[in-house]
Amino acid sequence: MTIAIFFIAAAVAILGAFGVVSFREPIRCVLSLVVVMLSLSVLFLLLSAQFVFVVQIIVYAGAVMVLFLFVIALLGPAREAARGRLRFQSWLSALFMLVLLVLMWTMLQGIQYRQPDQTDMSVFGTVQSIAVGLFTTYLYPFELTSILLLTAAIGAIYLSRRQIDDR
Amino acid sequence: MSTLNIGGSQLDASWFLLLGAVLFTIGAAGVLVRKNPLVILICIELMLNAVNLTLITFARQLQNLEGQLFALMAMTVAAAEAVVGLAILVDIFHTRDVEDVDDLSELKG
Repeated sequence: MTIAIFFIAAAVAILGAFGVVSFREPIRCVLSLVVVMLSLSVLFLLLSAQFVFVVQIIVYAGAVMVLFLFVIALLGPAREAARGRLRFQSWLSALFMLVLLVLMWTMLQGIQYRQPDQTDMSVFGTVQSIAVGLFTTYLYPFELTSILLLTAAIGAIYLSRRQIDDR
Repeated sequence: MSTLNIGGSQLDASWFLLLGAVLFTIGAAGVLVRKNPLVILICIELMLNAVNLTLITFARQLQNLEGQLFALMAMTVAAAEAVVGLAILVDIFHTRDVEDVDDLSELKG
């Protein structure tokens, strides 16, 4: 049963990823990416990452993708021209894709796992255990990410406010 | 190879890692092939998601929460990147007549 869930989610994720790359209209790309994110969230749940599963759905598939949809709605339906200035672009990128995949596959073959920590798996990935890690050991990186978010918000406000002043 | 016991079934951790590698490669190919800057940003999001899958697989394999914490921080960075990237794109699209990234090559040496 679990194996069937894994393979269905993996197949949906790969199909959605091909949709992201191949659809001409950007709005279909965004919707395919939402499909990929939802199937990846199922995989996160299989890997007992409950909190990351919820964050993936709410923040990623919800907020970030709605942001993309807003921008597409703002810019209008721009269809992508099929022309290209670089010859053999798709062939070169297919070659690159093959080389990258073979490289990562050979790296995965030689991977050496250390002995797993003997963690209590009944609370692994819950909100409590994530929060304990986030607010004790990793408090400093956590505060740094909050500063990063603040910087990004100020930057986005600055970029879009200058736009309004120009009119 | 390492097997994960999930819900009574034996799944191999390398399946998840291979799926992450495939998704990352598809996203990288999208960045190379597509010319709409918006779609390039979407493909970057796809690559970040593939990396998150890898992080969470390793967290489960090593039974160590640090991978999940790092995945959460990667999501934060991805959200910040999307916000700033989209703001820059909207600014570019409003101020200039741009059809794809080939029209944005003035900084080329």
